[in-house]
Amino acid sequence: MDKHKEQRGRDFSRRDFVKAAAVASFAGASARLTSKLYAAGSDVLKVGLIGCGGRGTGAATQALMGVDKSVRLWAMADLFRNQLDASYDMLSKGAKGRYDRVDFDSLADQMDVPEQRRFVGFDAYQKLLASGVDTVILATPPHFRPEHFEAAVKAGKHVFMEKPVAVDPAGVKRIIATAQVAKQKGLSVVAGTQRRHQLHYIEVIKRIHDGAIGEILAAQCYWNNGGPWCLTAEKPAGVSDMEWQCRNWYWFCWLCGDHIVEQHVHNIDIMNWALGSHPVQCMGMGGRQARVGGNIWDHFAIEFEYPGGVRVLSMCRQIPGCSDRVSERIVGTKGFAYIDGATGFIKGENAYEGPASPNPYVQEHVDLIRSIRQGVALNEGIQVAESTMAAIIGRMSAYTGRALKWDWAMNASKLDLSPAKYAFGDLPVAPVPIPGKTPLI
Amino acid sequence: MKTKTSEQTPDLSRRDFVKASAALGAATWASGASRMFAAGSDKIRVGLIGCGGRGTYDTTNCLNAAQNVELAAMGDLFDDRLDRCRKQLAKELGQKVKVTDETCFTGWDAHKKVLACDVDLVILTEPPHFRPAHLRAAVEAGKHVFMEKPAAVDPVGVRSVIESSQMAEQKKLTIVAGTQSRRLAHLIEGMKRIRNGDIGQIVGGLCVRIGDGMLTWSQETKVRQPGWSDMEWQLRRWLFMTWLSGDFITEMHIHNLDKMNWAMDAHPVQCVGLGGRQVRTGPEYGDAYDHFAVEYEYPDGVRIEYMGAQMDKVTTRQDAQVVGTKGRVYMDSGNFVIEGDKPFKYDGPSPSPVIQQHADQIAAIRGGERLNEGKRVAESTLTCIMGRMSAYTGRAMKWDWAMNASKLDLSPSKYEFGDLPPRPVAMPGQTPLI
Repeated sequence: MDKHKEQRGRDFSRRDFVKAAAVASFAGASARLTSKLYAAGSDVLKVGLIGCGGRGTGAATQALMGVDKSVRLWAMADLFRNQLDASYDMLSKGAKGRYDRVDFDSLADQMDVPEQRRFVGFDAYQKLLASGVDTVILATPPHFRPEHFEAAVKAGKHVFMEKPVAVDPAGVKRIIATAQVAKQKGLSVVAGTQRRHQLHYIEVIKRIHDGAIGEILAAQCYWNNGGPWCLTAEKPAGVSDMEWQCRNWYWFCWLCGDHIVEQHVHNIDIMNWALGSHPVQCMGMGGRQARVGGNIWDHFAIEFEYPGGVRVLSMCRQIPGCSDRVSERIVGTKGFAYIDGATGFIKGENAYEGPASPNPYVQEHVDLIRSIRQGVALNEGIQVAESTMAAIIGRMSAYTGRALKWDWAMNASKLDLSPAKYAFGDLPVAPVPIPGKTPLI
Repeated sequence: MKTKTSEQTPDLSRRDFVKASAALGAATWASGASRMFAAGSDKIRVGLIGCGGRGTYDTTNCLNAAQNVELAAMGDLFDDRLDRCRKQLAKELGQKVKVTDETCFTGWDAHKKVLACDVDLVILTEPPHFRPAHLRAAVEAGKHVFMEKPAAVDPVGVRSVIESSQMAEQKKLTIVAGTQSRRLAHLIEGMKRIRNGDIGQIVGGLCVRIGDGMLTWSQETKVRQPGWSDMEWQLRRWLFMTWLSGDFITEMHIHNLDKMNWAMDAHPVQCVGLGGRQVRTGPEYGDAYDHFAVEYEYPDGVRIEYMGAQMDKVTTRQDAQVVGTKGRVYMDSGNFVIEGDKPFKYDGPSPSPVIQQHADQIAAIRGGERLNEGKRVAESTLTCIMGRMSAYTGRAMKWDWAMNASKLDLSPSKYEFGDLPPRPVAMPGQTPLI
């Protein structure tokens, strides 16, 4: 009984796009793009960076360095002037590498960002979209992604958008609707779930889909490690709640989605990819045992149920000083697969050792830019929306202590974490959730 | 009436009589030993150590499990607990309760005094912290033991229990543990099929227990009474004090994790856990967590995912699954279902095991048969403890390390009513692994 045949059938076209994009050259296209690819009369690909923090700056280096020098940074937007300036400074001077980018020298020769194309404030993204860019990098705190994605597609821009793509079901639905518009318009949309562009992941999962481990029976995914940057002490006098929270976005669920959504989405995405579907329902638990400040938790454990009754464990923790584990494991009737950032292999009847992979943070931009240039739209919007949603329902289940069905969350949940208005003023911090007390919305 | 110090092998005619009247037909032990042999209906005199709700319950079941079983002695730390229990038992069991004022003991050495009485079998239902010491004393005193689960609260205690079980083996004493699921008919039948290969090679599974925040447990002790020392208050709230209960993963969810060891026919090799206390944060809840998620890795890399919580107003659940290459098992308190190549659904009766556990023990005592569950319950206990330790510290744990190297001993510096600073709630990444 091949429970996965149906799922693989559904997955087929998605897999094709990824395969096409990952390979060094491909013959071009069945689909013709209907919208303008480049600025008139030029080969230059103009990139706009929306969200000039650490990840955005890294993504900009990867877009600029990944393919060739015809890629140009054309405009920048951020909520805060000092963030924009720091990013511009770093890009034009060069910097040492970190987990998501290599060392780089000055990229000034690929930067054309005069003062009039530096935009600051809540509506900076709108102005950037009107400034003549071809493609945008969306790297703001996740809360803003649905709005920015919608505006970018409406303006006819190709998109690289960081994960996660939303923080609540309301946001996910907007992403899905926008992804469909992008598809109609022939726009390329690549998401920051970079494992989808990482060769050893691609090769192992391809073999899983081809039956190397037989029928999938169980799976596990983990992101346990110390966690990201720390909340800076107390809110200083004179700084509004909104500013404080936006500058420390990771620590506030409405901006970040909590770490299960912000970070662990990477691993949950692998589960969806390997199993060929999003989950059907879930039951979660968790809490905040060590963290101080903000309102997010620091550990979750979710049981996801996939089609065919396959149960998947999702475990994530962001507490320093604990055992680390960032990986995925998929178990079948004929063996099992193990994959992490460095390695991937299959053991059992069809043993396989995955290859070393080129830098996926670069590859995702390469794949996007090539898709634009070669006229084959690459659209990861639905896929990353579903992975984001899976993480969100895991969070909602854990926060409330209630088992949740995907269909309910997608169709009936009214959860929308948006503030009453986007302005620098008062914004009380939502209380830390308590299972059994926090209502399910 | 059996003699206290007989070293003789029962003669042939008595052994025949025993075989005929014992419920179980297992072969009798070879000679030696002492007063463990009892003729088929010889009186069994029971001593109760730990006179709480569970002690009352188990004693009632034990005395009703067979003919000619009576309660001869009782012991508890607290007068009020003993008195309440004694009244309750007299009401339930009437003439079977043969305790007198002279055979009822309170205080820190009550258990020793019970063991010094003329009892054959003791029921250990004290807070789990004390189980290893009481088991040791009971075995040294030559008593058969029914002991509630869990067997201990820390690795030092687990080792003691394993050693005591070996001593009991030498002395031909029976030990039965309160892991009653082992006597549930639907599980007995179902587990045989797993062993038989009906689901093929096991590749995964899960074990979930979520429900009842226990907020009303021991209501009357929630607010600390004037005059109660730290020690007294913690003892009366023992369920929520990890040094006394082992936390709920050990105290209660051992039932569920023991079942996984049963299904796997092995104990785990290592584990990774997380957890915390998100709802039960007041001092009346000691240092217990209210949720744990532990991944247990068994031999051959099989991962069993455990999630347990004690919370109210959440989705409740208690079930387990075992996944194999040829099928999948679903089990809960009443069901055992196999889907796959060899489907199965248990549809016979599954009578309550709480009487059976005592009946089995009494029959074994009378028949001179071997029955020793000590090591098994010690291993199940360590399964829970290591999950707890992993969640408390945030560190992955290996069984071998926990069993052989861990020095964790939650004993207080002294057993007396006085000051005892409450243990701090464990903080992953900070609480050291000992």
